[in-house]
Amino acid sequence: MFEFFIFILLPLITSLFCSVVKNLRIQYSVSLSVSVLHLILALSVFLGYYHTNLPFFFSVDSLSKFFLLILSNVYFWVVLVSFSYLKRPVTHAAEKSKGFYFLLLNFYLAANSAAMLSNHFGMYWVAAEATTLSVAPLIYFYRNEEALEAMWKYLFLVSIGIAFAFIGILFLTLSAKGSILEGKQLFFWEFIRNAKQLNPIWLKASFIFIFVGLSTKIGIAPMHSGDVDATSNAPSPIAALMSGSLRLTALMGVLRIFEIIRPTSSYEFAKTILIIGGLLSLFVAFVFMFKVTNYKRMLAYSSVEHLGLITLGIGIGGLAFVGAMYHAIYNSIMKVILFLTAGNIHSKYKSREVSKVTSVLNRMPKTGWLFLLAFLGISGIPPFGIFFSEIKIFEGMLFSNKPALLVLTMFFLLFIFINMGKIIFFMLYKKNDNDNSEIGNEHFDFIHLTVILLLILLTTISVLSPDVIYQNIINITKDFGMNL
Amino acid sequence: MGNVLSILFCLSLFYVSITSRVKGYVTVLQIQGVLLSLIIVIPFIYPFSIYGIILPATLLLVKVFLIPRYINKIILDLDIRRVIDPTIQQFSFLLLVIATMVVIFVVSNILSQSTELNVIPFASGFSAIVIGIYIIMFRRKLIVHVAGFLILENGIFLFGTAVASELPMMIELGTLLDVFVVVFLMGIAINKISTTLDGFDVTALGRLKD
Repeated sequence: MFEFFIFILLPLITSLFCSVVKNLRIQYSVSLSVSVLHLILALSVFLGYYHTNLPFFFSVDSLSKFFLLILSNVYFWVVLVSFSYLKRPVTHAAEKSKGFYFLLLNFYLAANSAAMLSNHFGMYWVAAEATTLSVAPLIYFYRNEEALEAMWKYLFLVSIGIAFAFIGILFLTLSAKGSILEGKQLFFWEFIRNAKQLNPIWLKASFIFIFVGLSTKIGIAPMHSGDVDATSNAPSPIAALMSGSLRLTALMGVLRIFEIIRPTSSYEFAKTILIIGGLLSLFVAFVFMFKVTNYKRMLAYSSVEHLGLITLGIGIGGLAFVGAMYHAIYNSIMKVILFLTAGNIHSKYKSREVSKVTSVLNRMPKTGWLFLLAFLGISGIPPFGIFFSEIKIFEGMLFSNKPALLVLTMFFLLFIFINMGKIIFFMLYKKNDNDNSEIGNEHFDFIHLTVILLLILLTTISVLSPDVIYQNIINITKDFGMNL
Repeated sequence: MGNVLSILFCLSLFYVSITSRVKGYVTVLQIQGVLLSLIIVIPFIYPFSIYGIILPATLLLVKVFLIPRYINKIILDLDIRRVIDPTIQQFSFLLLVIATMVVIFVVSNILSQSTELNVIPFASGFSAIVIGIYIIMFRRKLIVHVAGFLILENGIFLFGTAVASELPMMIELGTLLDVFVVVFLMGIAINKISTTLDGFDVTALGRLKD
C-alpha cells in the first residue's frame, strides 16, 4: 500500500496542496520532494530492492517497472528545472498560468503512474485520458494564439483517438465471447494467459483500433499532427515531459495488446501494422525535415522519428525489440536535453523561427555547445546512448526476415540527420552583423548544469550498460515470448 | 426493451442529421443521455439494487444536466449564431447517414452469425460513432464538433452495453468523469478561441502548419 501512496496518492494530494498554497517556491519545493520520493521508489522497485503489493487494478511487471522508471526520471528532471524556468519573465497573461503549473504537473504524475502500473484495460484507459487532461492546459501555458490552437487540436484529436482505443477495448471483450474469458474482467495477464482462445477477427480489429487510437498520443504517423503542434508550442519542460514520457505511456497500451496478440495467429498481422506505422513515421519525419522552419517543430518531428523507430523495432522483434526498449530510455533523456536547451534559445531570441535564430554559438556559447552535443546525441553519434540502441535495432532488422527494411530506414535516417544538421548548424554558426556585441555574454545557469548532468547520466548508462537494465529488458522480451 | 430504446437512439441520429440549429444538437445529447441511462438502469429495477442505480444516476446527471447546460451556457455567453454552418448540404448529409447506417446494420447482422452479439444496440452504437465523426468532418462550428464528439462517446457507451462488457463501477465512473472534464476543457478553449482568435469555427484555426 505504501507504494500506491507514493506513486499515485501522494502526487494527487500534492496537486490539491498546490491548488490551496499559492506560493510558487513552496509548490516547487513540495513537488520536487514528491518527485524525488517517486524516483527513489521507482528505482528501488526496478532494482528489486522493494517488492510491491499494489491494490485494485494495479500491479508491477518487467515492462511497467521499466516504463515507470523512465517516467519518474524524466519527471524529476523536468520538475527540477521548472522553478528556474518559471522565474523567467513572461507576458502578463502567461503569468496567470504559473499558478496552475505544479498543480497540473502533480496530477500528471499521478495519472501517468496509474497508467503505467495498471493491469486492467479499463483502468489504463481512464488514467491515459487523465494524462491528456493534465497536459492540455499546460500546452496553453503561454496563452497566445498558437498555444491555444495547439491545445485545442491536441485535446480534440487525442480525445477522439482515446475514444477509438476504447472501441478497441470493447472489441477485445467481443473477442473473448465463447472462451473462458467471457464475462471476466479485462486484466492484461488473464488475456495474455488465455490469448489463444480469443477470436482472431475481433482481436485484429481490437489491435487496429487501439493502435490507431493511441497513435494520436504516441505521435505516430499519420496521426501525429496534434502531438507535433502541442509539443512545439508547449513550454520546454512540458514538451520534454511529453516527448520523454507521455508518448511512452500511450505506447504502453499498444505493447499490452501486442503482448496479448503474440501467441495467436494474428501475431504476424500485428507486427506488420507496427512496422508500417514505424516506417510511415520515419517517412513523415523525413519529408517534414526538408520543409520545417521552426526549430521546436523540428524537435517534435524528431520525436515522431524516434517513436517511429521504437515502433519499428517492436514490430521487427528479437534483437530489434531489445534495441527499441533501450531506445525508449535513451530517447527520453535525450529529449529532455534537447527541449531544455531549445527552451534556453527561445527565451533569448523570443522566436521559434529558424531564420531569426542565428549565431547561437556566439551569443549563447554554453547553450550552443550543449545544443550541438544534444544534436549529435539524438543523431546517433557515440558515446551517447542512441548510437547503441540504433545499432541493436539495425542488427535486429538485418537478421530478421525483412533485411530490406534496413536500407529504407537508413535512407530516411540519413536524410533526417542531414536536414536536422543543416538547420542546427545554421542556428549555431550563421552570423549576422550585430552578433559580435554579445560574444560570450551568457551566464552559467541551473538549466546548463541540469543538461550537463543529464548528458553525463546518459553517457554513463550507455557506456556502462548496467546489467540490471539488460536483465530487465531480457525479462520483457521473455514476457513477449521472444527468443534472442 | 433495450432494442426499443436503441431504435429511439437511432432516430435521434436521424434528427441530428437534419437539424440545422445548434440547440437541436444539445437536445439530442439530452435525449441520448436519458435513453442510455434507461438502457443501463433496466436490469437493476427488478430486482432493485441501489448499487446498480449509482452509474445510471451519474450518467443522467452528467449527460442530461451538466454537459448540455454547460454547452447551452457557452452558446449563450458567446452569442454563437444558432445555425451549424455545414460544409455539405443537409440532404446529402442525411443520405450519407442513411447509407452508413444501412451498411452498419447489414454488416452487424452478418457478424452476429459468427459472434454472439446484440445486433440492434451494437449497430446503433456503431452508427453513432461514425455519425459523430461525420459531424466533426462536415460542420464548421467548434461547439458542434464538441457535440459530435459527445455523440461519438454516447455511441461507444451504447456499443459497450451491446457487447456486454462489464467494467467495474469505479472505472465506468472514471470514464464519465474523464468525458466531463474533456468537455469542460473544450468549453474553456472555445471561450478563449472566440475572444483570442475571434471566431467560433475551424477556419479560425490555421496558424500551425509546416
